[in-house]
Amino acid sequence: MISLRLTRWLLGYVRFSVLGGSPERFYTNCAHSGAYLWDMTSGGNAGACVAARRYRFLRRNARRAGCRLRVRERTGLPFSLRRTKSHAGLWAGFAAFLVLSFSLSTHIWCVQVTGNKDVPAGKIESALASAGLVSGTLRSSVNPQEVERRVMLQCPEIRWISINLRGSMAEAAVRETTEKPNISDQKSVCNVIAARTGQILSLEVFAGTPEVKKGDAVVEGQLLVNAVVEDQTGGSTMTHASAEIIAETSREVTVKVPLHKQVDVPTGKTAVRRNLDIFRAHIPLTLQRKPQGSWRCECERTTVSLFGTPLPLGIYMETWKEVRSQEITLTKSEARSLAGQQIKKQSDALLKGLGRVTGQKLTEHWGKDGLTCEAKLTCEENIAKESEIFIK
Amino acid sequence: MRKPVKLSELGALSAKSRIEICGNREAVIEGCCGILEYGDGVVRIRTQERIVRFTGRGLVIRCMTEDALVVTGYILQIEFME
Repeated sequence: MISLRLTRWLLGYVRFSVLGGSPERFYTNCAHSGAYLWDMTSGGNAGACVAARRYRFLRRNARRAGCRLRVRERTGLPFSLRRTKSHAGLWAGFAAFLVLSFSLSTHIWCVQVTGNKDVPAGKIESALASAGLVSGTLRSSVNPQEVERRVMLQCPEIRWISINLRGSMAEAAVRETTEKPNISDQKSVCNVIAARTGQILSLEVFAGTPEVKKGDAVVEGQLLVNAVVEDQTGGSTMTHASAEIIAETSREVTVKVPLHKQVDVPTGKTAVRRNLDIFRAHIPLTLQRKPQGSWRCECERTTVSLFGTPLPLGIYMETWKEVRSQEITLTKSEARSLAGQQIKKQSDALLKGLGRVTGQKLTEHWGKDGLTCEAKLTCEENIAKESEIFIK
Repeated sequence: MRKPVKLSELGALSAKSRIEICGNREAVIEGCCGILEYGDGVVRIRTQERIVRFTGRGLVIRCMTEDALVVTGYILQIEFME
């Protein structure tokens, strides 16, 4: 039924009234002349529908039946098109739309990076751009294999990349490399020596002969575990000594905190500049010019997505905040707090996650230029350090 | 000896009229020669042998071609008249 209605609409049809005479005779004449009628009504409201191109042939049948025909309604595509015939702009617009759609479909407008975890998408996007895959590139000019090869060379963190072109979208599916674990060389012969001076708290020897025991005080460079292992028969073998030796050590950290410093303080004056990014064109939405002077800028880009697919449409917003350079003076408590933060930061950097600070003794020196804080840290750390023995 | 049956005497190719009724809502008449009377309650159609009269309520000729037409509506009675 839908296909029939669609066919009738595409070909166009006329709904007409039959006035006077004998409508029955008119319908019969029409049938005999080969005209196909439908939706025929009777009585005072007699009428029917006929294909548009057949309507003019019905006049003779109507005359023979003593009827007159009056068009009630013209429906269908031919009549719709006839109405737009005088509007040249409409046709020009339609033609422009077709040309524009075709030309836009030959370009890549969205580049989407998927599958990355540690490698930032921006880095991959810039690598793709330098390889020739960027929003607005002609689709036919992109060679996925070549782009893949060049991106892999530029980003060694990427194990595998696949460029999938889908219409005007390019998807870069990425897999990152897994870092190779450190494999210790167990074939070489080495002793374990003390990396720092301290007192041994615990000792766990995996291989080798221990030369010290729990509670011993050791100095930096002292032999802790010997590579020579003597067996029960009196023979000795050279091994790769290995141990975890936790010792209490002491470290000194000195930090300086100036009491007076220059900081940028926002004045509260802001200026916002917005751009509409559409098909790589930047259309300014505000008349605000780039501010001159001491301003801080924050940028934000919002991309419009449709069902998870980014579109070549977005808003780029710059928020400019005016700042004034101002000298501030820290209070003693603020300076202490800042010094404490810096000491923690430095101690973390020194221990590199291999130990912990168990106690600290602070000495403060207040001067004209600020606070000098000396911290004597008591740490617990692994002081075992492998020292290779080269045998010719 | 059996008399051979002409192909034109069978089914849709028959010179005689053929009426197909779907419930009492629709009737398809093949081999009709014209409409004699058309109203809301009565549709009278001339076929090659006789006149067929449909009586009912809201009768409408849905479509019509050279030798067939479709009558829809609430058909109460079908009469064959000479």
